Amino acid sequence: MTYDLEVGDPRTVARVINMAHRFQCRASRVDSTSTETVTKAHFEFAGDPKQLDRLRAQIDRVVQFEKIFVS
Amino acid sequence: MLPAMTPRARTGGDAVLEALEREGVDVIFGYPGGTIMPFYDALYGHPMRHILVRHEAGAAFAAGGYARSSGRVGVCCATSGPGATNLVTGLVDAMMDSIPVVAITANVRTPLMGTDGFQEADVCAITQCTTKASMLITDPGQLYTKVREAFALARSGRPGPVLVDIPTDVLKAPYVPEQNPPRKVNDVRPVASVESVRAAADAIRNAHRPVAIAGGGARDPKAVKAFREFCALLGLPHTTTICGLGASDPNDVHGLGMLGMHGTKASNLTVHTADLVLAFGMRFDDRVTGKPDKFARAATIVHNDIDGSEFNKIIPTKIVLHGDAADTITALISELKTGHVPRFDDWAVQAKALGGPLPSDVAKDGHLSATDFLDQFFAALPANPIVTTDVGQHQMWAAQRFKPNTPRDFCTSAGLGSMGFGFPAAIGACFANPGRPVFAVVGDGGFQMTMPELATVKRYQVPVKIVLIDNRNLGMVRQWQELFYDERYSATNLSDNPDFCTIASAYDIEAFRISGPEDAPSQLAAFLAYSGPALLHVSCYPDELVWPMIPAGGVVEDLMESKA
Repeated sequence: MTYDLEVGDPRTVARVINMAHRFQCRASRVDSTSTETVTKAHFEFAGDPKQLDRLRAQIDRVVQFEKIFVS
Repeated sequence: MLPAMTPRARTGGDAVLEALEREGVDVIFGYPGGTIMPFYDALYGHPMRHILVRHEAGAAFAAGGYARSSGRVGVCCATSGPGATNLVTGLVDAMMDSIPVVAITANVRTPLMGTDGFQEADVCAITQCTTKASMLITDPGQLYTKVREAFALARSGRPGPVLVDIPTDVLKAPYVPEQNPPRKVNDVRPVASVESVRAAADAIRNAHRPVAIAGGGARDPKAVKAFREFCALLGLPHTTTICGLGASDPNDVHGLGMLGMHGTKASNLTVHTADLVLAFGMRFDDRVTGKPDKFARAATIVHNDIDGSEFNKIIPTKIVLHGDAADTITALISELKTGHVPRFDDWAVQAKALGGPLPSDVAKDGHLSATDFLDQFFAALPANPIVTTDVGQHQMWAAQRFKPNTPRDFCTSAGLGSMGFGFPAAIGACFANPGRPVFAVVGDGGFQMTMPELATVKRYQVPVKIVLIDNRNLGMVRQWQELFYDERYSATNLSDNPDFCTIASAYDIEAFRISGPEDAPSQLAAFLAYSGPALLHVSCYPDELVWPMIPAGGVVEDLMESKA
């Protein structure tokens, strides 16, 4: 499974990796770049398909937390 | 009377206070320390009420109790390092049960961060995975905005805790008037599609044995009203999770009580027998489902939640209703009313008959039974009570017996199951609901985890009534040892408990003692009649068990009603 992320808080990348391992998945590749205001990351995850589905849903949820604000 | 104050320059601490004021905060539960002193300096003489707890864990639990019992955001604060880390359990508790809490922590000054400075802890990292967000504010000009955003995030969508960490130099920096208006909140709530609502209505019309379940997502008064209307419209048997207790109308004869491991037999058997499960604002916790692939195996599952990540997480769902519980149930009622509205009264009567009376024990060898006492206690409660519990046997006995008028009237650490919650949560509930009777039903194990908050009760004369069920054991662990670990009672004996009445008296708190069954009526009456804070010590025999019980990971066929 791949996931492309764009968030304000660079530590979200670490949060996602932690989450992946909590769901018994593995972040097999992570590419990330950050400016002062935006962090972009590309993840590749390996693991049980059902767990990967759960992981995707949970990442979506975390990303939603950031999206409740509009400038 | 406060001493005359020397005018002082306004700081970042004032900006934080301004944001709290703007959010309507009336009380903060906290404990001061080195790095958070600029904030406490701003608080000095300020009209906002600060409640000095005796341990930061008490602050987080009190904020949780405040929020659970009122629906408003609870606020706690602590200093850096140990102060901040002591808040963590209460924040995880709020996350698990979707409770809006904002925690404000200070940190070491910015240049010291990352140097293992005195009382430095990376609390943002520690709480990152256990809060909706943890934010570090390093710009004094952003304090007001960011704190307000923390509140918006805590109460948006599925509520939860947010931690705001502020280095002490930022708190101490000269006050910066707000330059940028806070970002607008884009809290667009998902709305269940017309098609999905129609599909759910059709499923109801085609069902023979439907059952509804309300969870913590139905805590909101609008959701409670809609859920009750929905059940009444259909004559529907219904149950709740522990977080949803109170969503059901206590006078609705089709209410089956709590579902799950220690839920009623009728609830569990009805869900097991049902051909349609309508789950509103719940997440199919393992304490509810037991073995997931055997849960409601005959039923079509209709699942409503505001959090999209809950669908198909545990239980495969046929019809997804992604939206707020109140809105979704209201839409479902409207959809049903466009056509045939079925009635399920006959099935509801059958469902009720699947269960039986709740097992209660009786006195043994002159010692009081906890369930016998709790039956008396809940029957004697004054009108409009709020009950908090700690975690363990007494929690389950209370959940089985208390009939709250609304879910906000019963506050318990459900998802996290955090001992030590009940007493400080009751303190928080008292501040959120002045004038209402608040009872903390606690066990002897959990009470000792946050017992120093007796000092808080004394100082502020918090009118909390503590009901201490003392069986001189960590009862729930002991129960599992008795049933599943060959009666090897490892580290659960608390026979050397202190004299809790003496401890309460030392804090100048009135104490009442029930030593045996014969004391119960008079002492309970005196305790309830007492107008201030009070503790009722109830000495019970140690080997009473919680029934019914479906063992962890078990199936409904494993339901036990007694040890034999």
